Amino acid sequence: MFKYIVRRLILSIPVLLGVSFLSFIIIQAAPGDFLDQFRMNPTFSQESIRLLEEKFGLNDNFFVQYGKWLFQMVQGNWGHSFQYHQPVFSIIWTRVGATLLLSITTLILSWSIGISVGIFAALRQYRPGDQIASVVAFLGLSIPNFFFALLFLYFAAKTGWFPIGGIMSINSAEFGFWQTIGDYLWHVVGPAITLGFSGLAGVMRQMRGQFLDQMSMDYVEFARAKGMPRRTVVFGHALRNAINPLITMFGYALSSLLGGAVLTETVFSWPGMGRLTIEALNAQDLYLVMATLLLSSLMLIIGNLIADIFLAGVDPRVRKRFQ
Amino acid sequence: MAQENQTPQQVEPSFEVEYMSRWKLIVRAFKKHKTGRIALVILVIFYALSIFADFFSPVNPYVQNTDRTYAPPSEVLWRVDGKFVGPYIYDVASYRDPVTYQRYYEPASVIQEITGEDTDGNAFSFSLDDPKIQNIFTRFESEIIAVGTEGERTLTKSSKEMKLVPISKKEILRQGGIDTVYNSPEDLEVYLNNPIYSYKMNRIGQLTEIHVDEGIRALNIEFTDGSKKTVEVGSIDDFSFKIFKIKLFNRGWEYKLFGLIPTNLHLFGVDSPAQYYLFGADAYGRDVWTRILFGSRISLSVGFAGILITFTLGLLLGGVAGYYGGWTDETLMRITEILMSIPGLYLLISLRAILPQDLPSHITYLMIIVILSFIGWPGMSRVIRGMVLSIKQTEYVEAARAMGYPTRRIIWRHIIPNTSTYVIVSATLAIPGYILGEAGLSFLGFGIREPQSSWGLMLTQAQKLSVLEQYPWLLLPGVFLFFAILAFNLFGDAVRDAFDPKGLGN
Repeated sequence: MFKYIVRRLILSIPVLLGVSFLSFIIIQAAPGDFLDQFRMNPTFSQESIRLLEEKFGLNDNFFVQYGKWLFQMVQGNWGHSFQYHQPVFSIIWTRVGATLLLSITTLILSWSIGISVGIFAALRQYRPGDQIASVVAFLGLSIPNFFFALLFLYFAAKTGWFPIGGIMSINSAEFGFWQTIGDYLWHVVGPAITLGFSGLAGVMRQMRGQFLDQMSMDYVEFARAKGMPRRTVVFGHALRNAINPLITMFGYALSSLLGGAVLTETVFSWPGMGRLTIEALNAQDLYLVMATLLLSSLMLIIGNLIADIFLAGVDPRVRKRFQ
Repeated sequence: MAQENQTPQQVEPSFEVEYMSRWKLIVRAFKKHKTGRIALVILVIFYALSIFADFFSPVNPYVQNTDRTYAPPSEVLWRVDGKFVGPYIYDVASYRDPVTYQRYYEPASVIQEITGEDTDGNAFSFSLDDPKIQNIFTRFESEIIAVGTEGERTLTKSSKEMKLVPISKKEILRQGGIDTVYNSPEDLEVYLNNPIYSYKMNRIGQLTEIHVDEGIRALNIEFTDGSKKTVEVGSIDDFSFKIFKIKLFNRGWEYKLFGLIPTNLHLFGVDSPAQYYLFGADAYGRDVWTRILFGSRISLSVGFAGILITFTLGLLLGGVAGYYGGWTDETLMRITEILMSIPGLYLLISLRAILPQDLPSHITYLMIIVILSFIGWPGMSRVIRGMVLSIKQTEYVEAARAMGYPTRRIIWRHIIPNTSTYVIVSATLAIPGYILGEAGLSFLGFGIREPQSSWGLMLTQAQKLSVLEQYPWLLLPGVFLFFAILAFNLFGDAVRDAFDPKGLGN
């Protein structure tokens, strides 16, 4: 198992290299660079612009620039952000936290509800409960994320029940530990529901379908004929087999969430990676863009890896293949 | 008996499988799908609205009316003084609250007919139907008088000339003038607390009553030849407001049907200068309904254009990679892996950043489609590659190769057609992704730009919470987006079921 993880990680290195090279090409191909705003500004002399160019390494040729960046990156120096005048690493670090918090809350919310409603619907196939659940699932799959976010904001503003964006209240510094957690949870409801609703719908549909498939299998029929209690048949046998494809799905969900939810973060002014990337792209903050793109790709790859490990943990057949 | 009953049921499918073509079977399976049929109807309506957007729009989508910023949906009325006249609206007059600077609207209209006597006792009668009369202006005068225990004083006096008269002034017009008396403690409080009046209030002792005396004092008539006439109003016998009837097949703004036939026919509309806002107006005073229709042209077409490019690329590259294998396959698959490792929306935005910001609108539109397709092809070509790999092993391909057919022919005539079911089904299911992609890009400001319209772009205006709270109709483009995606999802589901070989023939 350990060998497998190491091999996967090694195999992802060329992919990450490719991602970084492609990102570098794309960003450098964009017209202009960060210093354009200074070039427009008559108070900046030619000399100081030249110095800045040298400082940021913008006057080298493309491959030299990429090589330098890569060399520094491998050594753990992610470069300086042009617009924040701070090391890229420290900026990203604060944002990764917000994105991780949001993704984990969303995953817990959507998966716990999705799986339980899916099982519930499957056990009551074609009855009203099942039908309501599938209608809601279709709505969830069809509603655009940012529209849902706007609707939620409208609702929050009209009722005043929820905050209208941000991750913490302004006076959060005075709060104690539990109060801080409460404040965070109060703020995360909107973005988490927005992000989780479509995921929840997908999970629910998948769970219901898989579960129904398993319930019509011979081994379930056999177990029931044998007189095994229904609870054992459902949760001990059918559920364990039905859950495998969902774990693959979990990997995708995890990686797409970690990759950042740009639109939701924008609407809820959530200080996550998505918004950081957009701002950095807008300002052509080269090293910050490179770092965020690379980090979100890495998260995507790690998400897939985690899904595979989970799958191995649940399914002995998969575990055997790894050994 | 039981066996006899079963036999015809078993014969039926085989009969149909034998005598109906595959397409007939698929269409038949689709027709049985109820939600799929409803979705198709919704989609047909959406596309009809989008193709004939100009015909269904009462106003021009690009003309800004800065005096009608965020005008609410027009209120449709049916009766005048209890008499049924059919659907009509009034024009609106906008005001700014002097304290909050909030803009608010009041139904208002111009005077259509007015008869009465002037101050000298001479009768007058004016009507907009009279071809010689261009405009009828009214002069309203209002006076606020404070009455106290030791006398009375005028607080303010104003005179206003208006063309658009708020409907709420109806009673004043009817009676020539109205003296409203406020004497409740709450109302008096408002005047007492106003520092502007405090000096005058001091002279009248204890305030007991406030009189608001408002009345129509004069009519200014503007004639078509440019001359003007002022009539001092003594009393008014009768008057009427102009009503703007909602006309079917109205002649309105000029456009070109299909970009070719110049016409000005619209499904509905009202006479200018009033504007009929079905869903209200946006920040620039443009009709939201009209903008939605014009936005649908972009939002609903990116999907089709996008899958066309994606699937051509995916089939071509996937087919080549799967058929030839070797280093072509290896290179292409590594490229797809890299592209798929970058989160989609970031890649979209980075690619958009390469392009200059100030491209002409139709080029921007094309570029967005190309960028959206660029995100889609890796996944597509990987699936096609897998299918081609397995089809390559089949006997009929082996046979075709043994017969010496050229490779191109084998790929296009034998392998690609076998992927058609998958391609058609996944194409229908992929369309919502493109629509969402465009909407998301435009919403973030990287896509379609003003003055062009797209559903995502329209929702940007709803992003400001203070605006959204007061003018919720700005969310309507999202409702359309939602229904379009829902319809495509349901339609895609039905198509998938219809193509499912298990479902065919029964």
